[in-house]
Amino acid sequence: MARRVAIVGVGMQKYEFHKTQTVEEMIFEVALDALERSKLSRDDIEAVVFGSAVDAMCGIHNSDKVAIAASGGLLKPTMRNSTSGSTAISTPILGYDHVASGLHDIVMVICYEKMSENEAAQKVFSTVYDEVFVRPIGLNVPIQCSLEARAYLHRYGITERQMAKVSVKNRGNALGNPYAQLPMKLTIEDVLASPYLSWPVKLLDTSPVTDGARAVILASEDVAREITDDPVWIKGVGRGADSVWFMGRKNYDLGRLDYAYLAGKQAYDMAGIKNPMTEIDYAEVYDPFTYKEMQHCEAMGLCPEGGAGRMIDEGVSLKDGPLPVNASGGLMGEGNPIGAGMSRLCWCYLQIKGEAGDCQVPKEVNTAVTNGWGGMYQYNAVMVIGRD
Amino acid sequence: MKDRVCIVGIGVVEPPEPAVDLSHKELLFQATRQAMDEAGIERRDIGGAITTSYDFLEGRSLSNQYTLDSIGGVMKPCDLRLGDDGIYSLFAGFMEVLADPSLIVVVASVQKASERDAQGLGFQKLITDAMEPAFSRPLCQSVPGLIGLEAVLASMEARAFMDRTGLTEEDLAAVAVKNLKNARPGSKKKGPDLKEILGSELLSWPIRRATKARETDAACALILTSERRAARLSQEPVFVDGVGWSSDHGHFFLREHSRAAETVMAARQAYRLAGLRRPDQEIDLAEISDWYAHRELMHCEALGFCETQDLARCLAEGVFDQDGPLPVNVSGGLLGLGNAIGTSGLIRVAQVARQLQGRANGSQVPGAKVGLAHSWSGPPVATAGVAVLSRW
Repeated sequence: MARRVAIVGVGMQKYEFHKTQTVEEMIFEVALDALERSKLSRDDIEAVVFGSAVDAMCGIHNSDKVAIAASGGLLKPTMRNSTSGSTAISTPILGYDHVASGLHDIVMVICYEKMSENEAAQKVFSTVYDEVFVRPIGLNVPIQCSLEARAYLHRYGITERQMAKVSVKNRGNALGNPYAQLPMKLTIEDVLASPYLSWPVKLLDTSPVTDGARAVILASEDVAREITDDPVWIKGVGRGADSVWFMGRKNYDLGRLDYAYLAGKQAYDMAGIKNPMTEIDYAEVYDPFTYKEMQHCEAMGLCPEGGAGRMIDEGVSLKDGPLPVNASGGLMGEGNPIGAGMSRLCWCYLQIKGEAGDCQVPKEVNTAVTNGWGGMYQYNAVMVIGRD
Repeated sequence: MKDRVCIVGIGVVEPPEPAVDLSHKELLFQATRQAMDEAGIERRDIGGAITTSYDFLEGRSLSNQYTLDSIGGVMKPCDLRLGDDGIYSLFAGFMEVLADPSLIVVVASVQKASERDAQGLGFQKLITDAMEPAFSRPLCQSVPGLIGLEAVLASMEARAFMDRTGLTEEDLAAVAVKNLKNARPGSKKKGPDLKEILGSELLSWPIRRATKARETDAACALILTSERRAARLSQEPVFVDGVGWSSDHGHFFLREHSRAAETVMAARQAYRLAGLRRPDQEIDLAEISDWYAHRELMHCEALGFCETQDLARCLAEGVFDQDGPLPVNVSGGLLGLGNAIGTSGLIRVAQVARQLQGRANGSQVPGAKVGLAHSWSGPPVATAGVAVLSRW
C-alpha cells in the first residue's frame, strides 16, 4: 500500500551557460541548500536519487558516482535515473517510489547537468541517435523539434506570433528569478525577427544550453508532519512514452502527443482531479521551445486541445492571469540543463509555499502541476503537488 | 499486511558465441518474450518497464531509451535507469510494485560486448572516463596506452586484500578452479586445475587471465508483480524478500581498497528487510560477483558468509562448493560464464530464482529455499547491490 509522500525542501543554485563548479561541487551546493532550507542534516538523508541526462555532456561515465559523498549519500543507497529532458520529473517520481514503497522515510533527489564541458552541446547530443538508421539522416534537436512544431501549428492553426508571446512571457518572468540565466525584456517583434534555427523554430523560441543542478527532499507522511505544519504532498504522478522509433510511433501526428495526454491523465486520476482548468492553480510546464509549452499545456488539460494559442492571446498564463504558467521564467528564461529541469517542480513548491520571491504570483496557490519531456522526444512525466 | 514482491517470469539469453547477427534490441526482445511466456502475460498486461544501461559501453547516449520497444514499455509508465548495474533495475521495480501492487513490471538489461573491440580496450577507456577528471583520472597516465589498466587497478585492491587477510595466490586460484568447474556441470572434462590457473597469463600480479572474467553478450528480463497477482499467474513465483544497494566513494584515492564496504552496507539493508540475522546459516546458495577471483572472497567476507580468518579454510574445506553448506557461484559465476558488464547483475538474480524453483538444470542445489544474488559494478567505482529471494 503506497504511503503518502511530501516535499519538505528544495535546493537551488544559479543557472549559467558555464559554471566553474565541477559536477560534484554543483551537487554539493544544492544538497546543502536543501538541507538548510528544510532544517535537516546529512545524517537524516536515507537515500539519494540522482537524475542526469547525458554523461557525454560532462564527459564522466556514470557521473553520479563522483558525487556520492557530496550528495550526502556515502555508503547509503543511491541510484541514478536518466530519461533525457523528462529526467526533470521522472527522477522525483523514482524518489517518490523510494518513499511510497515504505523502504525509505527521507530521500534526497538531485538533478544536474553540465553541458559546458564539451565543444558543442548539440554535437554531443547527436550521439543519442540510432547509428544505423537515424544518424545518417543528420537530425538534431532544432530540426526534430521544428518538424514537431510544424505539425502542431498546422493541426491547430497556432501561429508563430502566439509562440513569440510565450517567449516574451517567460523571458520577462525570469527577470524576477535570481537563479535565471537569461532573463530578457523582449517584444513580440524581437522574437519574430530572431534568426530561424529550423522553421518555424527561431533562436528566441529556444531555451539555452546550461550548467545547473537542483535538489528536492521527499519525506513520508509521518516524518513530514514532524518537520512542518504545512506539508506539500505529491498527489499524482504519471508517465507515458511512445515508441523510440520515429517510424514506429503510435501516433503519426506529432501535433498531438498521445503519450503526453496519457501521462497527464495518470497523474490527474491519481490526484483525483477531474477538471485541471479549474482545479489547478499554477503550472510549471516544460518549455525547451515556445511551442512545447503550448503542446504541454494542452496535454495537461490546462486549456482545451488546440487552445494554447488562445490561452496566451487572452493572457490566461501570464503571471497575474487566472492560470499562471512558468512565472519563474521556465526553461527559456531560467535555463535548460537537460537533466535538471526539476527546477520546474521546485518552483511549483515555492509558489505553493509563498516563497517564490519576485516570481510569486498574486493568486493563492494550493495545487500545482508540472511536467518534464524528453526521452527520444517521446517521453513525458507529470507530477501534481499540493496541500490537502 | 504488506503485499510481497514476486518474480513471475524469467528470461535469459546467453549466446555461447558473440551474437553478431542479433542486435541488442533483438536479444532483449527474446529475453523479454521468454519471461512473458513464462508468466503467461501479453504486452497489454505490462504496467511498467525499467532498464539499466551504460551509455559509454553502448556507444550511444540515452542508450536505455532504446530498450523500450523490446520490453513492452510503449505507452506504459516507464522509468529508465542509466549508469547503474542491471541488478538495480530489480530494485527500482521492487519499489514500483510496492508503491502500486496492481502493477506488472518488466525489469531488463542487455549488454553486447561483441559490438566493441575484442581486446577490451574500450573498457579500459571506460574506466578512465568513469574517474573524476581533476584528481583521479591523471592516475591512468601511468599506464601507457591504457593497456592493462583494468588489471593494474584490480591488482592494487587484490594485494591490499591479501595483505590484510593473509590469503595467497593459491586461494584466489582455488576460486577460479571451483567456478570454472561449476560452469560445466556434468562434464567429463573437469576444467583447469590449480596449476593451470597459476600458469595462465599474468596481467598484473596477482591478476591473471584465468582469474579475471572475460566479457560476453547477454540479455535478461524479469517480470515482477505483487504476491496477490502472482498467485493468479501460471508460473511458480519467487519472493523478493530483501533488497539493498550502496556506493562507497567514487574517488579512487579516498577508498579503503581491501574491503568491499559497499557490499557490507547493501547486504545490511537486504538482510534487515528479509529478516535474516545469520546469513551464513540462513542462506542456501549465493550468486555473487567474481569479476576477479579475489572479489568473490572479498564479497563472501562482506556478505557475512564467513569470518575473515576463516576464508581460506572455508574455501579449502568446500564450504562454498556445490555440495557444501553454502554454495557460492554454483552457476560458474562470471569467471565461468563470462561477464556481460551491467547485465550479469540481473542474471545472478535469475540464476538464484531458477534454483529456488528447482529448475537449475545440472547445477541444482537440492532443497534450496533462500538464495542471495549480488552484483558489483566494477572498476573504478565501488557500487554493489544485493537481493535476497525465497521459495514460494
